[in-house]
Amino acid sequence: MSLRESEIKSGPACTTISLGNYRFSDPPDPSKWADCVHCGMCLESCPTYEQTGQEQHSPRGRVHLMKSVGEGKLEITEDLIDPIFMCLDCRACTTACPADVDVGGLIEEVRGQIRQAIPLTGWKAFVNDFFLKGIFPHPSRLHLLGSLLKLYQKSGLRTIARKTKLLHIMPEHLVEMEAILPEVGVPVRKKYKHMNVIKAKGETKHTVALLTGCVMDVVFSDINEATIRVLTRNGNDVVIPQNQTCCGALHVHAGDRETGRMLAKQNIEAFQHVDRVIVNAAGCGCMLKEYPELFRDDPEWREKAERFSQKVEDISKYLHDTGYEKPKAELNVRITYHDACHLAHGQGIRQEPRAILSSIPGVEMVSMPNADRCCGSAGIYNLTHPEMANKVLESKMQNVPEDVELISMGNPGCMLQMAMGVLKYGRNQKVVHTVQLLDWAYQKEDGKEVRV
Amino acid sequence: MRKKGIQTNDPHIQALARIVGGEKSILYKKEDLIAYDCDGFTVHRHLPKAVVFPKNTEEVAAIVKYCHEHDLPFLARGAGTGLSGGAIPLNGEVIISLVRMKRLISVDLENRRAVVEPGFVNLKLTNSISDRGYYYAPDPSSQYCCTIGGNVAENAGGAHCLKYGVTTNHILGLEVVLPNGEIIEIGKNGIPDPPGYDLIGLLTGSEGTLGIVTKITVRILKNPEAKQTVLAYFDRVEDASQAVSDIISEGMVPAALEMMDQTAIEGVEAAAFPVGHPKDIEALLLIEVDGISAGISEQIEEILRICRNRNVREVKVAQTEEERARWWANRKTGFGAMGAISPDYLVQDGVIPRSKLPEVLKNIQQISKKYGLRIANIFHAGDGNLHPLVLFDASKPGETEKALAAGSECLQACAAVGGSITGEHGVGIEKKEEMRFIFSDEEIAAQIDIRDVFNPKNLLNAGKLFPTPGRCVEVKREKKQRQSL
Repeated sequence: MSLRESEIKSGPACTTISLGNYRFSDPPDPSKWADCVHCGMCLESCPTYEQTGQEQHSPRGRVHLMKSVGEGKLEITEDLIDPIFMCLDCRACTTACPADVDVGGLIEEVRGQIRQAIPLTGWKAFVNDFFLKGIFPHPSRLHLLGSLLKLYQKSGLRTIARKTKLLHIMPEHLVEMEAILPEVGVPVRKKYKHMNVIKAKGETKHTVALLTGCVMDVVFSDINEATIRVLTRNGNDVVIPQNQTCCGALHVHAGDRETGRMLAKQNIEAFQHVDRVIVNAAGCGCMLKEYPELFRDDPEWREKAERFSQKVEDISKYLHDTGYEKPKAELNVRITYHDACHLAHGQGIRQEPRAILSSIPGVEMVSMPNADRCCGSAGIYNLTHPEMANKVLESKMQNVPEDVELISMGNPGCMLQMAMGVLKYGRNQKVVHTVQLLDWAYQKEDGKEVRV
Repeated sequence: MRKKGIQTNDPHIQALARIVGGEKSILYKKEDLIAYDCDGFTVHRHLPKAVVFPKNTEEVAAIVKYCHEHDLPFLARGAGTGLSGGAIPLNGEVIISLVRMKRLISVDLENRRAVVEPGFVNLKLTNSISDRGYYYAPDPSSQYCCTIGGNVAENAGGAHCLKYGVTTNHILGLEVVLPNGEIIEIGKNGIPDPPGYDLIGLLTGSEGTLGIVTKITVRILKNPEAKQTVLAYFDRVEDASQAVSDIISEGMVPAALEMMDQTAIEGVEAAAFPVGHPKDIEALLLIEVDGISAGISEQIEEILRICRNRNVREVKVAQTEEERARWWANRKTGFGAMGAISPDYLVQDGVIPRSKLPEVLKNIQQISKKYGLRIANIFHAGDGNLHPLVLFDASKPGETEKALAAGSECLQACAAVGGSITGEHGVGIEKKEEMRFIFSDEEIAAQIDIRDVFNPKNLLNAGKLFPTPGRCVEVKREKKQRQSL
């Protein structure tokens, strides 16, 4: 389909604010690429450049391409999709860049343009619409999906599927994903639905709201439970606004900025009566902090988004900065820490989680070389680009120290991907969330039996 | 998504694809090629015909042979961080990207040498041997990502070259694919200073015009026992320059002696690795001494004394490794940091006798005023290697030309005091006209004769290193050759 046809199909583009060959509203911000002087300092930071050695798959090359379209030197064509969508959006280049070029922001904006110019078709469009529009924005449907998963895991269906090799009709990466999915529990949103507030243990020092997340609450509700326990133990009343929704990161990464904006508005409203929004998923936290980027052309919502983003904090930084009770029980484990991209590169949070882990008695920290290198999860990148995601994962696993028992991190996507890495490369580490370890230490202190 | 297979009927593309083993090792579509239309020098842009990614020397040789036989212009590229345009495909070249040849082949600690492939990244060598107490000395600021192959082509320098010498002082042997596809080895077995002509010296710094390096034997050094770093802030550039002169004339050889002026400081402080330098000083010096522990503190004391003698406002010694690393990250990302205060920049690379530093810096200020363009100075003061960074905005009509003229005038100012037009970045496209500031027509012709011995068809990286209109020398000679045939 030519660009013109697709424009007609998707309705009139807002041509008044077009930029070069970006013909739709919300075009990329040219001041972002103006900072790039093409020095190349980003090259080695980029996982896809590491794998391919090709500069159209490097931050500098991608910026150069995006700028060329903005300057009218290049059209948006099918051949542009690969360089722009192969990016993991891991933001490592922004850390490496001497001039702080916001490559991730540009990539997301340009994906928005590409997806409007060349809409997905066929099976891909169906899967995209089904999950990103049909499931994630709707908590009830997500919970239903969770229940189905639970049924599958508990009823013996899984055993049958695995034994009969029925699973083998699925692509390999989905089979791997199925294998490492943890036991599905009860989402905290459902569980605490009728509680206005989960009271702090002892004196209330702060009141915070928890973003429960979509995947987090379905697949890792135990981490949400742990987060609530740790927060309440440290003097926080926790509220779980029921009208909150998916953060929209997956949508924005995929170029669906419109749905991203819709979800952002819903969350901004859902959390309007609280002063603090605590997030335990790095990808979601980063997205919430970047909501203002979605409303560059909408002053009213931009202001609301800016006020909202000030309230957002990652659980590790929040605990570290507001102070938390140092656990007294010993855990006696060797741990390595993996920096989730959207925590380290996206939010600049590196030392806080490490400090929390080190403060647990008996924890021995073993540093991981290139700890802030992407694991290849990158939202749903491991589903959309399995080949590249696997290569990135392989390179990540080579850096995981052999002699540790746990790999700790602060993002559910990374946890699934790293668990897959452990399985695939015959390693024996357990993958845990930073806050879980703190929770275990507290529980042990309280005399409960903890299996680390 | 993309269709599989090679989507073109161009027989050259198909032939080259066969050599490198298929579509994953060749680029030929505009969307993929644009990323290769320039390197770290962004003023000139040209699309290559294709980019090929060989895995080994044999594939490089086969590509070169094919290009040679079919008269296709070609050139080699590493990370593309060069600052003089050496890897820009001026003639629509086939780019031979060496980044997939990135193995560290061997490390021989006893004989203090290592063998690497050309795509191996500079800093990775030091990182791979530092736990055993060794390092690779040449440290261009782009060492986080530039390749050793590129370093050989440009004879790269770096902050620590004041004491340890530039790339050519650290190369013991090379495997080279000549422009006709023949594979040769020079400096066999990595024995230093072999008899006969110094071909390693000739190849190193030949800017990719004599051959393509496919294997490199480098010297590695033992880590210095001790290292100390000083940061000194000066209210006046003259005082900083004089301090530099004093340090050198006292007979000290610091490992590094770097200077930044006020505009440069504004840039690095606005960028990703700020240190907190005061904004109102005219210059800062970053000085490092290293060697055996005994004597280091005396040298530091001496440096502090000299700085105070020259009216330093504040001078301090790094107290921790983190502090030292921060100062260096701030300095080494200096060029890229200019992006924070200017959309484009052009870096020059003049060399001057150290005693002329205040005079030349003043001249550069005049040039800046004359063209109405800001010029930042970040440079290796210890060896008189200036890097004036001309800040401009390429989207403003005429400003690129103005920047080029201002840059050229800076080099003229260097040549006028008996200096040179390049210290470490190479001539490339950028400074080929300025070669005339220091060489006569005859001298340039003599160098072209040398190139022609290796590269007689001039298919390899043509249009670089030597002035073009003054090609009259070349044209005359070609005519003579034809007549004699």
